[in-house]
This record gives sequence, C-alpha cells and structure tokens, in this order.
Amino acid sequence: MSSTHADLAIATFAIGEIVEGTQTGRDGATLIVSPPQLAVGAGEPALAEATVEVVRPGDRVRIQNVCDVVVPDVRADDPTDTFPGALGTLTPAASGTLHRLEGVAVLSTCDWERAGYVGPEELPDSLVDMDGPGAALSPWSATANVVVRGVPAEGAPVADVDRALRRTTLRVARTLAEMTLGATPDGEHRFPSLGVDGSDLPTVVAVLQVASEGPLTDTFLHGWALGDLVPTLLDPREVLGGALVNAAYDWPSVRNVTATYQTNALVRELFGADGERLRFAGLILAPGYLDTAFEKQRAAMLTAGIARSLGADAAVCTTFSSGNSHTDTMLTVRALERAGIAAVPIVAETNGGLTDHVPEAVSIVSAGNEDELVAGWEPERAIGGDVPVRSGEPVPTWAYLSATVQTGDGWLQGVPA
Amino acid sequence: MTVVHYVNQFFAGLGAEEAAGHEPVRFDGPKGPGNGLAGAGLTVDVTLACGDDHFGEHEATALATLLGWLDELAPDVLVVGPSFGSGRYGYACGVLAREAGRRGIPVVGAMTPDNPGVLAAEGAAFIVPTGSSVAGMRTVLPVVAALAARLAVGEELGSAEDEGYLPRGLRRNVRAERQGASRAIDLALARLAGRTATEVEPTGDAVEPPPAVPDLEHAVLALVTEAGCVPQGNPDHLPTRHANVWLRYPIDGVASLGADAYESVHAGFDTTDANADPNRLVPLDAARALQAAGRFGSLHEEFFTTSGVDTPVATAAKFGQEMAEEFREAGVQAVILTGT
Amino acid sequence: MGITTVCITALPTIAQMVGANRILRGVSITHPTGDPSLAVGDELAMRTEMLDRALEMLATDVEPRTVWEVDA
Repeated sequence: MSSTHADLAIATFAIGEIVEGTQTGRDGATLIVSPPQLAVGAGEPALAEATVEVVRPGDRVRIQNVCDVVVPDVRADDPTDTFPGALGTLTPAASGTLHRLEGVAVLSTCDWERAGYVGPEELPDSLVDMDGPGAALSPWSATANVVVRGVPAEGAPVADVDRALRRTTLRVARTLAEMTLGATPDGEHRFPSLGVDGSDLPTVVAVLQVASEGPLTDTFLHGWALGDLVPTLLDPREVLGGALVNAAYDWPSVRNVTATYQTNALVRELFGADGERLRFAGLILAPGYLDTAFEKQRAAMLTAGIARSLGADAAVCTTFSSGNSHTDTMLTVRALERAGIAAVPIVAETNGGLTDHVPEAVSIVSAGNEDELVAGWEPERAIGGDVPVRSGEPVPTWAYLSATVQTGDGWLQGVPA
Repeated sequence: MTVVHYVNQFFAGLGAEEAAGHEPVRFDGPKGPGNGLAGAGLTVDVTLACGDDHFGEHEATALATLLGWLDELAPDVLVVGPSFGSGRYGYACGVLAREAGRRGIPVVGAMTPDNPGVLAAEGAAFIVPTGSSVAGMRTVLPVVAALAARLAVGEELGSAEDEGYLPRGLRRNVRAERQGASRAIDLALARLAGRTATEVEPTGDAVEPPPAVPDLEHAVLALVTEAGCVPQGNPDHLPTRHANVWLRYPIDGVASLGADAYESVHAGFDTTDANADPNRLVPLDAARALQAAGRFGSLHEEFFTTSGVDTPVATAAKFGQEMAEEFREAGVQAVILTGT
Repeated sequence: MGITTVCITALPTIAQMVGANRILRGVSITHPTGDPSLAVGDELAMRTEMLDRALEMLATDVEPRTVWEVDA
C-alpha cells in the first residue's frame, strides 16, 4: 500500500551439509566453515576462551548447557545492520532484504555453574541430542549446527560475559549468512507492512509474551533488555527480522530461543492467511512474570485495550517459559474475552495439569507435556560439557531445547494417555 | 513373579497411632490385608511398611530406603494400601507409587477419590476408588488383586471406565501434523464461527463452598499462612522450600507479630518487607483490633504455618486436611489463610 | 464438610485453580496483608479494613471460586 514502508524480504538459501575447510564460504548447498577463520571470541575480553565446532544430525553427540540458537541471517542492504541493536546498527528490522540460511543453526553453550555464576541446579539441563530418542524432541537435532562454546573470563561480571557470548554467537550467524551475498536465493518470502482494509474477514492479532528478569533470564529488543516492558504494538516483521534476541537460559523446552523469533510460526502463518482467511491486524509485545497482582492485571488490561483498538475479533496468546507467566497469559485471555475478543492461549502441560487457568480460557492449544520421560541414550560424547549428563537415564521432555515451546512453533501436543 | 505390598504401621501390625513414627521396615510374605490379597489369588512376596508420620516428616529418607528395597526386589507389580480415607497413609502410597512408576514398576492402590494420594501419584498408579471407611476392605481387595495380577504379567489394562479405577489424567506427547500456531489460528477462527474446541482441559480441584459462618460475632477464627512465618531464628527448622511439615505457634496474649520476634523463611519471595513487619503476612494486629471491636468471637490460640514453595499440590492438600481435622476438634469455625 | 476459609492472595487465579472458594485479592506477592508504601498507622488501618472484608466474606454464602476485592 504505502511506498514509504518497504516490504521485508527474506531470501532463503538451503544448506544440505556443512564441511570444514580453510576458508568459510558456500558452494551451492554446502556450507564451508573454517573455525580458525571465524576467530570466535576475538575482541571479547569477558570471554577467557571461545571455540566453535560443527555437529551434524545423526552424530552421537549430546550438546548440553545450550544457551541460545540463532539462524544465520545477514541484511543484504547493509550487513552492519544485522541483528540491530544487539550486534548491528539500530535500524528497523521490519523492512529491507534479509539473506537467511536454512538447515543450519548457530548454538551457544556456556557452563555458567562451573564458572560460578549460578548455584547447582539453578539452570536446568539444556540439551540437544543429535541422535537417539531425544533427537525427535528438539528441532535443532535436524539442523547442521555450528556450536559456539564460551568460557567466562575469571571475575567478569555476568552481564558482560553474557553480552560477549551473545555478540560472538550473532557474529558467527551473520558471517555464515554473508557467504550468500550477491548470490541467487532458493526462495524468497515477502512480508508487506500490515494495512487496514475494509474486508469482512475476521481480524486476528498475535500477543507475543516475553520476559526479562535480569542476566541469564533476559529478552532483548534491539539489544535493550525488556525488564520494564509495558504491552506495546510492535511491527511483527521486527520479530522475523532479528530485532528480538533471547538471553534467558532457564527451562529449555519452553525457552524462546532467538531462532524461534526469527522463524516465528505464528507471525508467518498470520501473514500467510492475511487477506484470505483473516485480517492480520498486528502483534502486541506483552510482558510475563510481572511481580504483583496489580501489574499483572494492568498488563492484561492494556493488551486487551490495544487489541480492541486494532479491531481484533480474536487473539492468539503465546507464553514465555513456565511458572507465574502462565498467570499472565491466563489473565490476558480473561481481559481479551471480557473485551469481546476470542482468545486462544498456547501453553505447555505438566504431569500435574495446567499451571494456571481461568474459566474464560475455553480454547487452549497444548504445547505438549513437559514432564513426559524420554528413553535414555548413551551418546559418545558431549559438547558444552566434559561428559554427557544423564547418560543412559530417561530424560524429562523439559530438558530438550524448544521441545514444548509455547510460541506456536512447537510440534508436540498432549493427548490423553 | 514378584509382588511387593506397601502398608502403613497399623496394617503391618506394628501398632496404631503410637507407631506412626516407625521407620521403614520390610517383611517376608504378606501382612494384614496382604493376606487378603493372597486369598484373592495374589501372593505377596515382600511387605514394606512405614509409619505414616515418619513418611510425612522424613519423606526424602523414607523414600530412599523404600526405593532402595524396590530397586533390589525389582517387583513385577507394587500394591499400595488400601488407604481408604486416610490422608497421611494415602499420601505415602501416592508418593511411593509415583516414584515406582518412574522406575517402570506398575502400581495398584485403593483410596477415596479426594485423598491427596491420588494427586501425589501423578497418574502412576491404577487407583481403585473406595469409601473412607476400612469396612470396604473385603470388597476392594479382590478388585486390587485382580488388577495387580494382570499388570504383573505385563497385561495392558483397559480404560478407567471399563476396569473400575480412577482416571489417571495422564497426558502423553504426540507429534502433531501442524505447528501450534496453525492449530491456534484454526481454533480462533472456529470460535468466531461459533465452534468451541480445546486441546487441553483444566484439571483443577472443585470443592463445594462451605456455608457462610452463621454467627461470626461468637465464632472462633484461626490464622493460617503458607508464607513461612516463624519465630525469629526458625527454632523448629521449617524448610524454606519443599516443606514436608507445617508448624504451629502460640499467639494467646500476643497482640502483634513483631519484627524482632518473627520472620519469614519462605524461599519463594523477597522477605525484606515481610520481615520488617510480619503482620504483612499474618495479619495478627488487625485481627486483634477486630476482635476487640467484637467483629468475631475469639482467635484460636495458635497460628499454623508452612512454606509454600515447590510444594506439590498433593502435599498441600494433605496439610489442609490435617489442619481442618485439628480445627474441627478445637471448634474453629472460620479460617483466614494468607498466601504469597 | 469443609471449614469456611478466606484465602488472601495476590494470585487469585491460582487459588481458584486449586478449588479455593472465598478469595480476597491481597496487596502483593511479597506482602499480601501489608503495604510498605503507607505510613505505619495508615498501613494498620488498611490491613484492618482488608481483614474486615475477609470477615464479611466468611459470613457470606458464595458461588464456587469467588474473588472479592477489598474495595467493592
């Protein structure tokens, strides 16, 4: 519609295999990675050591202490804009051309406990199994992974280490994607700016819940932590374009890794259905884990108010991690329903049922039961740790990264046993 | 085929309430109702027993001992109870069932549907519903024996409806054909078209509301908290999380919970403000003011306290039932429960 | 029969989920019956008013899972 607001074009390049070589590059569907050339950790004094390693689907490897996952992206117009704010220049991520690798993911790992930043069992085991029964639980078992391992510098403040690891990981992701600049993509998806139309189609909004509770439990928008977030309208293409970066490392199966924002299924599906089955009116970025009843109620109320002002008939509400964020989700559902907007929340289940519920939540999408045990596996080796944790023991689903993610990107669903 | 039976102190013949603190113990062959199981065709090889209070107060160590024996015995089936309406016994049965389930041991139990043991088992046991009275023993034992015998030989049981056990509420994961986002949009559009469907139902508890207190001006009121409020120094070592006990402290003649005399040991919230004035957790000063104004009759002589962090619902349900029993005996007619 | 109970909590939806029937919304997670931002005398008055409301709820028949605010 408006020519001053360009589309976001995501040009995709399919990668079928990664090989190691002396020079990082791309040859058709083969990505060549040179760990020495990547020079991970260079210029990051908060990291004592940083290494990079390639693992492939089917390797008998358990990747553990996984922090984040990033899809290789580069802004074709100006690579220095990639991951604005978090790594690149502060520019809108919602328009322009992004080159993206498919079939490859960059993982970051760090043993925070060993470095003394958290107590034992403060951060739950965070696993990606490249083979074995757990491989089906995580989408990152099916990608060729470039794994960045960071070791904190002694005495460095945790936020500095975290930032250094994040920048290192984002840099690797950008560098890999840079290997496609100037090349013809395998596919391209265009996302126009959302307009207002006069159709009779039902109007749907997305409510994307995020949370920031301090280092190791943060979410960044353009590199800025979202601790004081008040529900706000955000161009959904900012989400696809790399503006949201994850820095929360607790419960892995319900973690929104950066890649989950970059490839966000809810945004993509709503864009896909826009103009045909529905009118996609917008995305509301909403906070979870608010401390007081007042703040929780207020955020729910504000979200419902924004949704109503967009003319929403229905809303899909995502959930961030586990615990009292589920109360934020349910209160938001209640506020939306009371505003006459049909609300569908997405939540993971536990063996004890739902974490929270309101009578108004009559239509709930299950992200799967995070307590279900997965058969044990004995990997040959671990990355991100000296020896594989839980080797040979049954592993609860909650330990597998992204297994029960509550953004709509998950494939698991709970059914009666 | 190896069959193990778990019972409490009473059914093991160790004594009644006075033996409720008995440590875990094991016997060869059946004890008590185990003999009834044998009569119904299920031979019990080993009986494990533990005092109900001991289990409740030393859950971790009691469980470790019992599970050690189970690991050694590797039974084909475990029978727990029947515990009927006994909350403490049922709870122990449920927790043991849950852990046995995690080891792949099939479990059969029998208790009232609202026994905290049902929640504690987390779906690991096939629980035959009973009334609260032990008088039901002769009827339920053959049912339990039959289910256990079939499980012991690896048979898969039919549905809860068909076989007569309580629905286990278990949910297993399947890989859906489409991602959650796609299913969510479908559900949203279906709602707008007048069709309501859901992938998951809430499993919360429903309790009939007790009637309004008829004569509040003369009623005895009690204060209870899960905010971990205890005397300064936590003299009785209330756990800061995963509490397996609740405690009681006298407040006769106490007008207010002073900051120098009380504190909160709850690990789930920042206790700074609460420690500056514990009445912010247990509103004793306000209660005394309203008592003086004649709004209610009198305050119970103790307040009850626990730390509600990492507390399984089943444990909390057990606490609630125990507190209610005490209150009933003490003539308490109304309770204020503060939660964080 | 159960004992008539009022649960004072800042998370009433969780109380509703576990079957509480008389729920009075508390001030906050960290101080359900307190408000450190008030002067001492005002705080006691607030707490007394809150408890008075709880007493009112105890003396009232309710539908299941009812939540009251302190200020009606």
